[in-house]
Amino acid sequence: MIDRILSMFTTVGHEPHGSILVILFIGFVFGFILQYTRVAEFDKIAGFAMMKDTIVPKMLFFAIGLTSIGLYFMVKMGYAEYHIKPILLGGLVIGGIIFGIGMAIFGKCPGTGPVSIADGRMDVLVGAIGGVLGGLIFTVYYDKFKLIMGKSLGKDSLTTIFTGHESLAIFIFGIGLIVISIIIPLRELDEE
Amino acid sequence: MIRKMPWWLGGILMAGLLLFAFSHIGASRPIGASTYVPYFAGILFNLDPQEYPYLQEVNNAGAWEGVMLLGALFGGFITSVFITKTFKFTVMPAGWKKYKNDSVLSRLFWSFLGGFLLIVGARLAGGCTSGHFLSGMSQGAISSMIFGGVVLITVLVTGKLFYKSGAENDR
Repeated sequence: MIDRILSMFTTVGHEPHGSILVILFIGFVFGFILQYTRVAEFDKIAGFAMMKDTIVPKMLFFAIGLTSIGLYFMVKMGYAEYHIKPILLGGLVIGGIIFGIGMAIFGKCPGTGPVSIADGRMDVLVGAIGGVLGGLIFTVYYDKFKLIMGKSLGKDSLTTIFTGHESLAIFIFGIGLIVISIIIPLRELDEE
Repeated sequence: MIRKMPWWLGGILMAGLLLFAFSHIGASRPIGASTYVPYFAGILFNLDPQEYPYLQEVNNAGAWEGVMLLGALFGGFITSVFITKTFKFTVMPAGWKKYKNDSVLSRLFWSFLGGFLLIVGARLAGGCTSGHFLSGMSQGAISSMIFGGVVLITVLVTGKLFYKSGAENDR
């Protein structure tokens, strides 16, 4: 097992996706933001499911709105590329439903979970064991799950659908999300 | 020091981090956070990638996310101890006690099941809140918008059905 953990670092080291230090830095800042804004807390995510806390959707939509416009310019100027995921309708819809149920009752998602464990939340550690079991079953029965996921319907995005009006489509999308994030009423389920 | 960062500042910083990760000086790839789980399961149960094609598919992305999440654990821990000062070993979230029940066993059972569903769902869809929501929708990806719409509706419906409304608790 130790050798496979070490091979994780060599795999990453050989890849062109940033040095190990840069990736650790990205993770560090990711954990810092999720912890400092408290969006990794059960009360924030399950609170959103109960519509008693709106910090998660406000921050999420605001970040997506800003990033979509920034990234569009970066791609245009050649500083980045798009990495669009394929449309696997069965996987997206059925996976989305299963994911949504899990997110509402667990009060975590795969990124906020580890941050919560680092905050001392032991119920999340138990949930992580459930998650590893889920990952194991998915890996072992991948051929069966693949049947549910279905065939790829392509990798469409706003820029491929609205060819010729890409800038306008991205601006409407990005600014729309920023406006939504601002008009969602601020509600907080505070434990303190 | 202020112990909580406002949502808009968190949104700006998260956008900056996503753009950095996408950029050539960063990692030239989106941030994702659910592929590492089957990767980690493969290590933990010593599964042979030759036998399980999925492990070959996720080998590079799983390793990348594994290293990133090590950083996230560290960043979360440092922030929890020194900035938010919230670090404490607990098993019962305040909201669960108020809107579900006060049984630790019930919380642990549902956490386990919730974690299980979360990963199966994310792997079926090919992404999670990070990969689809944050990174995917920021690229205007249709797949991520379908996932995002389904997840938003399911989260709100589940929240309505699973938890008490809280009216009787507020008295």
